[in-house]
Order: sequence, then C-alpha cells, then structure tokens
Amino acid sequence: MPGPTPRPVAYLDHGATSWPKPQQVVDAVVRALTDLGGNPGRGAYAMALDASRAIFEARRTCAELLGVPDSRDLLFQPGCTAGCNLMLKGVLKPGDRVVVGSMEHNAVARPLEHLARLGVEVVVVNADSTGLVDPDDVERQVRAAPARAVVCQHASNLTGTVQLIGDLADIAHEHGALMLVDGAQGAGHLDIDISALGADAYATSGHKGMLGPQGVGLLYLAPDLDAQTQIEGGTGGGGSESPDMPPERPDRYEAGTANTPGVVGLGAAAAFVAAEGPEQRRREAELTRRLHEGILEIEGFHVLGPPPGVPRVPIVSAVHDRVDADRIAFALDRTYGIAARAGLHCAPWAHRTIGTIDCGAIRFGVGWSNSEEHVELALRALQEIVSS
Amino acid sequence: MSGRQRRTFVVFGFTTTHAALAAEQLLKDLGVPVTPIPSPKSLGGALCGIALRLDPVDAARAEILLERVELAVAARGEIEDV
Repeated sequence: MPGPTPRPVAYLDHGATSWPKPQQVVDAVVRALTDLGGNPGRGAYAMALDASRAIFEARRTCAELLGVPDSRDLLFQPGCTAGCNLMLKGVLKPGDRVVVGSMEHNAVARPLEHLARLGVEVVVVNADSTGLVDPDDVERQVRAAPARAVVCQHASNLTGTVQLIGDLADIAHEHGALMLVDGAQGAGHLDIDISALGADAYATSGHKGMLGPQGVGLLYLAPDLDAQTQIEGGTGGGGSESPDMPPERPDRYEAGTANTPGVVGLGAAAAFVAAEGPEQRRREAELTRRLHEGILEIEGFHVLGPPPGVPRVPIVSAVHDRVDADRIAFALDRTYGIAARAGLHCAPWAHRTIGTIDCGAIRFGVGWSNSEEHVELALRALQEIVSS
Repeated sequence: MSGRQRRTFVVFGFTTTHAALAAEQLLKDLGVPVTPIPSPKSLGGALCGIALRLDPVDAARAEILLERVELAVAARGEIEDV
C-alpha cells in the first residue's frame, strides 16, 4: 500500500477549507466520537443527554460568536450550501421577484436558477470590476418593482471583496424585502454581528473561516421569518404523533440525527475563533496584503478584486498574461508543496463578472495557520514558475 | 431493591430538547435542583423526549424563573418516584 500523501509545505487554500484544524477542534471531535455516543435528543439516559448538552452548548457558543440573541434561531445544517438552499427555497415562491448580486457562488446561483425555472423572477445586478455590488444599483431594482428579497454574499470567494451588507439590508427593508446573505467566506474572517448586520437569513460554512470540521454549517433565520422546511423527518420525540414538522426551532429545521462530531467540533472552533479572532484577523490581513502586493510585483500577473488597502477577506486570486492558472497550481503543488486552487471556484457568475470565465484564476486563501514564510515561499515560487 | 420510599415529584415538559436543556441549565445555575428524565406519557405526546423532575417545593419558583426568560413549560404533571 502506498504511504500517505505528504502534507503541503504551505497550505494556502483556506478559502476552500481550513487546514489544519486547531487542536481543540480535533480533541472535541474525538471526544464526541469516543464519549458522546448516544443519539442527541433521542433519549434521557446519561450518554444521550451528554450528546444533547454538547450540541446545546455548541449552538450557544456559535450564537454568541455571531451575534445571534436567541440560539434557537441558529440552525445546524450539513453545510453552507444546505443553508443557502433552505433560506432561498424556503422563502421564495413562484411569482416572487428577487434581486441578487452577480458575484454569487453556485450555492446561491444554482438554487436561484432552479427557482427561476419554477417561476421566481431573478434579477441579477452586476458588480463592478472589483467585485463590489453597488447598493445604488440594487436600490434601483427594488424600486422598479416589488421584491421579496435581496440576496448577496458577505464576501466573494473569488475576489475577496467584502459586500456592503448593512447598506443592502437597509435598502431591502425600506422596500419591504428580506435580506438573505451567503456568509460562507464571512464568518470567522470578519467580525460579524448578525443582529447589527440586518440580515433576515445568514448562512455560513462551519469549516472555512470558522475552522470547524467539514459537513456542518450554520443558518440564522430571523425569529419572524417562517421558511418552508426542505427536509422532514424525526426530531426526537417532540410531537412525534403529528404528521407535520414541529413549529418550534431548532427542531423544525433539523430533522434527522445531528452530526454530533461535526457540531461539537464546530462549537470548539467557535470558542477558538472567539478567543483568537481579533489577533487572527489582523495577522491574516497582513499576510494577505503582503501576498497581494508581492504578486503585483511579478511581471504579467493581475490580481482580481479590490486594490491593496481596501478591506477584503483573506483571498487573493490572480491571472497571468502567459501562464495558465491550472499550470501554475500544478507547479506550485508538485514542485513547491504549496496548496492553492485553480479554476472557476464554483463561481461562474463571479468569473463572468470579472472577465475571467474563459481562463479561470489561481486562488490563494490565507488562514490562521499561515506564516510569513508561507507567503514568501509562494511569491518566490510564482516568480520562478512564470519565468521558466 | 433499596428501601427508599416513593414520593411525589413535579414534572415539567417542553416542546424541544433545546428548551428542556435551556431550562435545566437556567434552574441549576439559580440553585434549583432538577433531574432530566424521559418524558412521562402522562404529560402528553406533543412534548420532547426529555422532561425535568423537581421537588414540589421548588416547582412554583422554577416556573416563575422560566417565564421570566420566556422559556415556557409546555406541560406540568406529577409522578410518583423514588
């Protein structure tokens, strides 16, 4: 049997998923698998109660980190994609009109394309060349005709652009629309207070900036937002005789046995981010800026998104005049042991907006585990790859 | 079997496990002893699988404390237990 694949020398794909995980997260997952073997919410014996309590605590920790006043409104989902599907398909009905920015990931774009086929009118507002959705453009669209919702990402997984969610939420609410946010690249990398942000729904990943395990995400639903359930099933005894899902949260939107290791790991990750967050974000911003400026100094490279100095999440994507992104990614991996991702990043809308749909881009995602050495190694490697 | 005598306990039922655990944590933090138990059928079927068992002398105070934080007790009953 072949041995394990060597670990990367520099892991710069935190935009896809964070790695490694903080030791506290690993320990929590192991503890869940070892000691929390009961089915949470499915029994009152000691081990099941311990599992239920661990999920209860994880929910509270995540809610505190993200500024959700009542943790019942923060739902565990199989991932951000599942959360986006619930917030879109649970809210939008045929005949509704929705205004959405053009930088969305397929987690939003594909559900909306599906809903459009069912009779939802989807109005796409083009972002500018830096990936920013102009709130004035959105306002023109919600003024033009009633909209059920404004949908926008918190930050772009391609350009790192941070969208003006507060302004968009104000516009949406002023015109009687909901504000629905895909926060996959926001949570953990940005200081988020969902209540202050004005989002009626906010979906996020558990394994990117939040540093938790894969297979778990979060969805905030405002207390008065009644989304149609997308999955029905067992909820642990509450009203089991009823043919309908219970009205109470979180059970209403959490049918089936919980991903206890994932949820407990995410709770530990949220505690880590809460403790380390400000310093971590400062360090990520410094490294991101150095990487951004360093790439710009290499002949033939163009960095997508906002210029240095403008806030972005720790993502830097670039294209080169002569060398294709996939060749760069392959050389980075095989020659230098650097993990970075080339392609369209599941974001064809965004690539079309920025003008890179035909070539894709090489993307670097900086995270909590990166150092100056990683960034300098990547810059030297890029210089050598495009010079050879 | 032990010689412990059976006595009456008050039981609170909740609609979700989350609510039951929130109530457990709040009451314990405030010094009200509670024990999670499987929901007795006598509370009705519309409840989650976990109920809280209390000493009758604590029940009225506990209910007031839970109401203050809008943690509604969905059903209230009594059981004989040791």
